Amino acid sequence: MRQIPFKPFGYEPVLTKEDITPVKKKKGERAGDWQGVLKRIWHLVDEQRALLVTVLLLVFVSSTLALIGPFLLGKIIDNYIVPGQFAGLQTMIVWLIGIYFFLSLSMFLQNYWMIGIAQQTIYRMRTNLFAHFQKLSVSFFDKRQHGELMSRVTNDIENVSATLNSSFIQVFSSVLTLTGTVVVMLMLSPLLTLLTMTIIPVMFYSIRWITRRTGKLFKEQQQAVGDLNGMIEETISGQRIVKAFSQEDRVTDEFIEKSERLRRTGFWALTYSGFIPKVMNMLNNASFAIVAGVGGLLALNGQVTIGTIVIFSEYARQFTRPLNDLANQFNTVLSAIAGAERVFSIMDEEVEKDEATSKLNTVLKGKVEFDKVSFKYEQSDDDHTIRNVSFTLKPGETAALVGATGAGKTTIMQLLARFYETNEGQIRIDDIPIHELPRQTLRSQIAFVLQDPFLFEATVNENIRYGRLNATDEEIMEAAKQANAHDFIEKLPEGYDTVLTADGGEISQGQKQLLSIARALVADPVILLLDEATSSIDTVTEMKIQEALERLMKGRTSFVIAHRLNTVRQADVVYVMDQGQLMESGSQTELIAQKGLYYHMLNEANV
Amino acid sequence: MKTVFSYVKPYKWPIAIALILMLIELSVELIQPLIIAKIIDDGIMKDDVSVIWTWGGVMMLMAIIAFLSGATNSFFASHASQSFGFDVRTALFKQVQQFTVATFTKFPTAGLITRLTSDVTMVQNVLFMSLRIMLRAPLLVIGSIIMAFIVNAYLAMFLVIGAPFLIFFLYYMVKKGVSYFALVQVRLDRVNRVLQENLQAVRLVKAYLRGTFESSRFEKVSNLLKMDTVKALRVMEIILPLLLLVMNISLLAVLWFGASEIKSNNAQIGELVAIVNYAMRMTGAFSMFAFIIMAFARAKASAERMEEVLLVNEGLERDEETGKMLGTTEGEISFHNVTFSYPNSLEPVLKNISFAVKSGEKLAIMGATGSGKSTLLQLIPRFFEATTGLVKVDAKDVNKWSLDQLRQAIGLVPQQSLLFTGSIYQNLAWGKIEASIEELQHAAKQAQIHTSIEQFAKGYDTRVGQKGVNLSGGQKQRLSIARALVRKPEILLLDDSTSALDVKTEAALWEALDKEQATMLVVTQKIRTAKGADRVLLLDNGQIAAYGSHEELLETSDLYRQIAESQQEQEVPAHATDSI
Repeated sequence: MRQIPFKPFGYEPVLTKEDITPVKKKKGERAGDWQGVLKRIWHLVDEQRALLVTVLLLVFVSSTLALIGPFLLGKIIDNYIVPGQFAGLQTMIVWLIGIYFFLSLSMFLQNYWMIGIAQQTIYRMRTNLFAHFQKLSVSFFDKRQHGELMSRVTNDIENVSATLNSSFIQVFSSVLTLTGTVVVMLMLSPLLTLLTMTIIPVMFYSIRWITRRTGKLFKEQQQAVGDLNGMIEETISGQRIVKAFSQEDRVTDEFIEKSERLRRTGFWALTYSGFIPKVMNMLNNASFAIVAGVGGLLALNGQVTIGTIVIFSEYARQFTRPLNDLANQFNTVLSAIAGAERVFSIMDEEVEKDEATSKLNTVLKGKVEFDKVSFKYEQSDDDHTIRNVSFTLKPGETAALVGATGAGKTTIMQLLARFYETNEGQIRIDDIPIHELPRQTLRSQIAFVLQDPFLFEATVNENIRYGRLNATDEEIMEAAKQANAHDFIEKLPEGYDTVLTADGGEISQGQKQLLSIARALVADPVILLLDEATSSIDTVTEMKIQEALERLMKGRTSFVIAHRLNTVRQADVVYVMDQGQLMESGSQTELIAQKGLYYHMLNEANV
Repeated sequence: MKTVFSYVKPYKWPIAIALILMLIELSVELIQPLIIAKIIDDGIMKDDVSVIWTWGGVMMLMAIIAFLSGATNSFFASHASQSFGFDVRTALFKQVQQFTVATFTKFPTAGLITRLTSDVTMVQNVLFMSLRIMLRAPLLVIGSIIMAFIVNAYLAMFLVIGAPFLIFFLYYMVKKGVSYFALVQVRLDRVNRVLQENLQAVRLVKAYLRGTFESSRFEKVSNLLKMDTVKALRVMEIILPLLLLVMNISLLAVLWFGASEIKSNNAQIGELVAIVNYAMRMTGAFSMFAFIIMAFARAKASAERMEEVLLVNEGLERDEETGKMLGTTEGEISFHNVTFSYPNSLEPVLKNISFAVKSGEKLAIMGATGSGKSTLLQLIPRFFEATTGLVKVDAKDVNKWSLDQLRQAIGLVPQQSLLFTGSIYQNLAWGKIEASIEELQHAAKQAQIHTSIEQFAKGYDTRVGQKGVNLSGGQKQRLSIARALVRKPEILLLDDSTSALDVKTEAALWEALDKEQATMLVVTQKIRTAKGADRVLLLDNGQIAAYGSHEELLETSDLYRQIAESQQEQEVPAHATDSI
């Protein structure tokens, strides 16, 4: 039988035999796992715990009121209606109205506050995760799809949110009801109670059987959601390429494949988790039968009365209902844990750490020194991207980085901004090794104009202000003028207040670069990094902003990657790079006189 | 709701079976009290052990039947809901694939992502639950009311006296809930958007130390999400307490009037007790009921958001004539008095553009930043349609082409070389999945990237991160060019896509491209590139400033001369060693 896999509706099985075999050694570990997750969520509840206690008190109140109501109702029937005595009935009913009113009120209030608590916790979880993203290194993001990470902040956290809203109250009220019921049952008949309890071990084992599967399946499901999200994000962001290459059908096929995986895991997760209430129902029905059957036999012997059986069967039902609720909650909690685990796994990623805080207020002069620096992006890479590079640049000097694409020019800049850590050697600024400088101190004195200009979905004004948040409108406009961006900004529908959209097309690539330069102008840095900052700008415009750029570089230590010979000529020193190595360095005239690599490159260009 | 609901139809059988199984389960539950009565009446009262054994056994058997139908229900319900979700997702994705570029500006990526994941999940879950538990509550309520009326119609009336009010109230709540939950999803869109921006701009954020600033931006949007979620959920939370209150008061009314009915001998005590019992059962089902209403409102809000996408009818890419042209594309391109402005702006980006490029010719397009060069290229593969005037390929209006055939003939290399997560092979084969390894390598060689790829530790299997993060600018550009070349297009559109290449590599690239015999439209900043073209189109502020060969323009156009002068000196031979 095991040879033929069970494939209802053609769904391939997701779980392997290893997934569901209980691992004895790992058991404690695993339990610790989800306990840890719950603990961390509990930690996020934080200062709202007082309010949470209030909520639990209210649950207690409403559970009590919910019990008193029917009790008084029974009294009314027994004491007033049956004997036909109507005096005093009015008072009792007024009492009941009061009780029902407070029942509804306390139910409303407990939910009202619980929603607040839950959502605040979720909010904290979300913002903490986002804040954590900000502290992670660039290399963390290099390896991951945006959409997959986004899924953790939205889909996974939503999973937790749905559970938090209802589970706290549900679990607590179930436990309360359960305790109350067991007490009453014990009072009615200890023997029958014991018999009813026999279903507990069965319940325990069946729940374990199920959750061993669902726990794994929920995890898979969230992974599939993340994967799908990643694919959607990337495809829709790159939709123009999809269209240009008319690959809609293929992309759709790929989507369907990932979506199919989600369907498959979703099917199994839902099916298995759907077993829980059914198992509980059966046990419920079985306990009913036990009470009726065994109780009946006992009644024959006169050990219990018929009344007891009738009442007891009702209570037995009451006994299993909260158990059923608990079991259901258990499942929701499991799916929430699957989500939370994915969130916390990111939170556990190591952040960019600053070793020393003592140098926090260091004001840099801008002397930059590379001392035998080697670097590779991945430990598994065979070759270093940067090999044994050494140079010293004095404060205020401008260096032009020259070399083929892939020679490592951008990497030099990224190392200087400490996006990545060197593998060997040291980078020093003002004789301080940069790993001793807090990133904040370092980066607040660096302005980096990146190869791919990026604009936020915000106004032009806000996009330029990104360089320095306290810049005045005048300063922004001045920077825009210098970057030659003012004219086109003025032509936009709302000038500086025009909101730029992600793919709106109202701004050209070159204009984006102009805005990026304006952003750097506003930042007023000590060290300036210009990585192909003008590559998409036409040469006439470039000439116009050249002056502004030169002014910008004056008095600042600058690194420039550019095509314009003008820029290179004005550089104090030219670094010629090839395959990660610094081949030559010196002023343009020196290099030409050397008749080395640079000289040959010039000659080739003249052909 | 209707459109989304139509995706349920294919699963009517699994749904029907699931419902039947649920009813079996439910009826077992309802029959059980009767069996207990039987055991008491016929067994215990009559001292008949066999009756107790028999009926006890029957109860056990029924419990097993209920379990089996419940467990089987699980399969059918999961199947129906998951497949429904899958179908809706596919339909949404296919629809999105048909969007024109202009439609995408109306539906930002973040919003589409939420719709395809969060919204679908929402509706799918509600479907699953309704197949398993949801019908129970309404059935229980309706059944109890019917039973109450059978027992004593007069007293039962008091139970439903609040009903009109409740129905109106619930209707109102659903309506409110839908709009509130729709707002929640919109907030989720925003959260997604800020998140996506942050991830795209990770280097910029770090370079400018804007982590805290970004966090506060994110806190703002997630706070809005929180507030609106809280608001929506809290409004929904009114339902249950109010339902209970109305029901309990009605119950008391039953008692009060029941008492006087009994007094006047119009009703039996037993009847009153029975009605009170039914009423209590109803209240028991209410919490489920309230939950259903909330879930329904939420699902409706999500379904409507999905329909916004599914029902887009304008703004889809459609072919006017389905008949495909025979033969190969020649690759002639002509613009006839083309004026174009972007959907949301009035100012035209292109004004009255006319020119013609013959098959196999190379046209260089130059002009200042923002003069409309890229826009012009976008009109050829019909990303946007000309506002007035005609764009023709092979003397046929591009709007009359089958999109597929038109785009098959075009190789577009965009300004930003958008690469995808995957290996270099996968990225090269992106436009032609069936391409052989030789074809891919040939294209890579043409694009002057083959040697560089070979130098990577994993060669063509090197993994490219999203948007090509781990490659240098020039490598990305050349990969992007190679990707277009793999398709052997008749028309090659290069949008300033050699900006990061050095002189030598670029020269080799042009040499290779010229062998391709493709019609080329090349947006460039470089006079040197323009010199190699048959003709140059110089744009200024959306208009044609000059049109002719390099030599002609040098004589006739001041602007062109100005550009040429700005490039008098040679470019930095910076990247010349690439092939060393």
